[in-house]
Amino acid sequence: MRTAAVKRFSVYGLVVLVAVTLFYSCSAPLTDGEVDKKKTVALIVRMKHGDYWRTVKLGAEMAAKEYERNLNFYAPDYEEDASKQMELVQQAIADGSETIVVAPSDEQVLREAIKLTRERAIPILVLDTVGKDSAVKSYIGTDNYDMGMKAFEKMVYLIEKKGQIALLGTDRVKANAKRREQGVLDLLPRETQVELVANENIPLDKKQIGEWTRELIRKHPQLKGVIALDASTAIGVAEEMENSGLRDKVKIVAIDSPPEVLEYLQEGIISATIIQKPLSMGYLGVKYAVEASNGEAVPSLVDTGTKVIDRENMFWSENQKLLFPFVK
Amino acid sequence: MKRLLAVIKVKRIQFIITTSFTLVTVLVMLFVGVMLYGKFAQTAEQNAYLHTQQILEQVKYNLDSYLNGMTQIFELVDDKIRRSKGLTADKLSEQLETIVETRKDIVSIAVFTRDGTLLATTPSKVLRSNTRLTEQSWFQKAIEDPTNLSFSLPHIQNLFKGEYTWVVSMSREILLHGPDGEIPAVLLVDVNFKEIDDLCQRVGLGKKGYVYIIDLVGNIVYHPQQQLIYVGLKNENRSLPLKHSYGSYVEETQDETRLITIKTIDQLGWKIIGVSYMDEIVTTKKEISRFIFWLLIFVIVIVLFVLHYLSAKISRPIKLLERSMEKVEQGDFSESEPIRGSHEVEQLSLRFHLMVAKVRELMHQIIREQEAKRKSELEVLQAQINPHFLYNTLNSVVRMVGNGKNEDVITTITSLSKLFRISLSRGKNIITVREELEHVRHYLIIQKMRYKQKFEYEIVLEDEDEVLNCLTLKLLLQPIVENAIYHGIEHLADPGRIRIYAGLIDGKVLLQVSDNGLGMSPDVLAQVKAGYYKSEEGSGVGIQNVQERIRLTFGEEYGLEIASEQEEGTVVRVWIPRQVAEERDRL
Repeated sequence: MRTAAVKRFSVYGLVVLVAVTLFYSCSAPLTDGEVDKKKTVALIVRMKHGDYWRTVKLGAEMAAKEYERNLNFYAPDYEEDASKQMELVQQAIADGSETIVVAPSDEQVLREAIKLTRERAIPILVLDTVGKDSAVKSYIGTDNYDMGMKAFEKMVYLIEKKGQIALLGTDRVKANAKRREQGVLDLLPRETQVELVANENIPLDKKQIGEWTRELIRKHPQLKGVIALDASTAIGVAEEMENSGLRDKVKIVAIDSPPEVLEYLQEGIISATIIQKPLSMGYLGVKYAVEASNGEAVPSLVDTGTKVIDRENMFWSENQKLLFPFVK
Repeated sequence: MKRLLAVIKVKRIQFIITTSFTLVTVLVMLFVGVMLYGKFAQTAEQNAYLHTQQILEQVKYNLDSYLNGMTQIFELVDDKIRRSKGLTADKLSEQLETIVETRKDIVSIAVFTRDGTLLATTPSKVLRSNTRLTEQSWFQKAIEDPTNLSFSLPHIQNLFKGEYTWVVSMSREILLHGPDGEIPAVLLVDVNFKEIDDLCQRVGLGKKGYVYIIDLVGNIVYHPQQQLIYVGLKNENRSLPLKHSYGSYVEETQDETRLITIKTIDQLGWKIIGVSYMDEIVTTKKEISRFIFWLLIFVIVIVLFVLHYLSAKISRPIKLLERSMEKVEQGDFSESEPIRGSHEVEQLSLRFHLMVAKVRELMHQIIREQEAKRKSELEVLQAQINPHFLYNTLNSVVRMVGNGKNEDVITTITSLSKLFRISLSRGKNIITVREELEHVRHYLIIQKMRYKQKFEYEIVLEDEDEVLNCLTLKLLLQPIVENAIYHGIEHLADPGRIRIYAGLIDGKVLLQVSDNGLGMSPDVLAQVKAGYYKSEEGSGVGIQNVQERIRLTFGEEYGLEIASEQEEGTVVRVWIPRQVAEERDRL
């Protein structure tokens, strides 16, 4: 009798205890923030520094805030550090990301990333580089071919449709640069009076770019313009032109808008630059990543667009925010 | 439905307690829940409105004071320049430098002529080419409105070499003291936009809400998503805020409902617009309702358990009581344990147990009495045909025949015949006093014959008419008379005398047998009274049998009284109720 009563009491006590625990566990999330419950989007880019990637990150942060996601940002210290980037992809997956948005340094990184995400059924989106793989939910980036065409058209306009021009890329064979080059080359036959006198890839080294520029001018005194297929090359060429006093004679069309390019642009040494929209890239990357992870259909290819900037329009208010994304 | 109710035993106390209390609890909780939800939800909404208002007020205050500070600095610079008559540009620059050094957020101070020539600047920097400064808004505003300080929209400062910085430009026309008298000039103070940007960026309205600023005509001064708006990925409807200076309204698009709150900085006409998302307020409401819902569930579960326990505790003893009653109903009167529980139930159980005990006692008594009655009757039956008595009597008759006393034989046989007739009396137990007296008279006649006239007897009647018709048990007097003869008179030297009396006293019938025999010692008397003493011979029907039969038939208040004194004799009184026989029975 006595033991039965004790037993019954302990059962009731247990029930009350369980109920209280349940009660607290269901009311606790009300006071705690829901930060921890937010899903995480991983953004893996090619480099930690530089306005371009920082702008991508800025756009991604805006989308992450809007769609209430955590954003984990991964980047190697140096551009094109593919092996480091591969580690970062693995790291991002190990960190339990809901979706991976990656701007791969090379094909191998992309393949590895696709393999890893497929194993865990994580959606993967690719920024900046257009590739072809059905596993990738969406490619978000610039149409580099179009960029090349725009650069050529601007150059043709600048040299008033006739004269010798040169095309300069880097020796690092990069899919994006190749596409830009193709854009230029495909339009070339249309302009019968425009002559391409040089098309070369040289190392990203100021001294070598300077030497190549001097050689080019020596060989082709009638040279009217240089299209540089990336910003660093453009800066090197512009520097050489300024030093050799040819700033008004040879037009330079550049790609992207690091501060040096903008300085040369205002000074008139670089005549125009074709800019991408890294902010849109970052923003749309995360936006579509969220939608893809929600099972919504996302466009498989997104062109974030380009814009031709010259001295005339560089301080227009709508361009200021594109060219100078950060308030310093 | 009825069957279902029957299955769960709706009328059970436990069920009634549990359901009614649960019902009351649920109703009360629902009422409280609804009230709380209403109040909380209302408060949450009001708080959201109030919160937005307060935050915007704070932003406005901060911006106001920041811009006021900047205005003061501009005036200070203006004052410095005005007082520095005849100073060279270098000297002036030096003076301005001290001001710039005190404020980190001043990017540069510069003085231009009306045609755009740089007169002085601090910190001293090289002017860029292609600045188009005369086309810039701050320059034009200063020329157009020379008296009022103008603030530009945030823009990129492209005048001096170095970094491109986001600034807000303050500009106004001032007068310079030159060699040729006063000349008009434009004073420019560029303030870093970062301060304002930071201030606005830090402001959050809920998780998604934000603050943005537009100028008089709707240009964006600050917007957290300005770049997205420029590239066309986002859109901000600025038409409504443009029309209002203060207040708040709810803006509904197909996706979301937003609360827009507007405040205006009077100084510049800039509008601070707070955007908060209603779904976040609704989320708060949802959270409250979820909380209340779980609270309700929790309380109901707890209450159910507690009630289950309580009602079981209350109803258990009643159930036990019911069960023990059922046992009694089925005839099981065995002793059971008293039930513990509430005071009432304990009392009820106690009373019930007492009652059962009494019933049990009574039943035992009845059984005992029945047994005793049967035994006595058996004894009487035996006495009716006592062979010993018959043998003695017949022996006497034989002796009488031998002696030729035919008269006596006739008397004896006649009496014996009468005795047996009354004795049998058609199997009845109850006979009239008349018959009983007749019976005992015949008995005495026979005994007198046997004992050769050793004793005399007389029968005295009082209220003769009534007492003879009263009812009595059969064979009451014979055993008493038998005792009187065998124990009192048989061994007496003197002639014995037996007196039988019948009469009504105090509404009872008294039959009395008295003799003048040996009497009994007090010890023997006590033994006789207690029923231990029994004669060896005779009918075998003892005094005790007589006593028992009277008591079993008429009750405890009737029976025998014996008084005896040695050498004096014995008196035995028989008390029976006064019951008159029906007419037909008398026949």
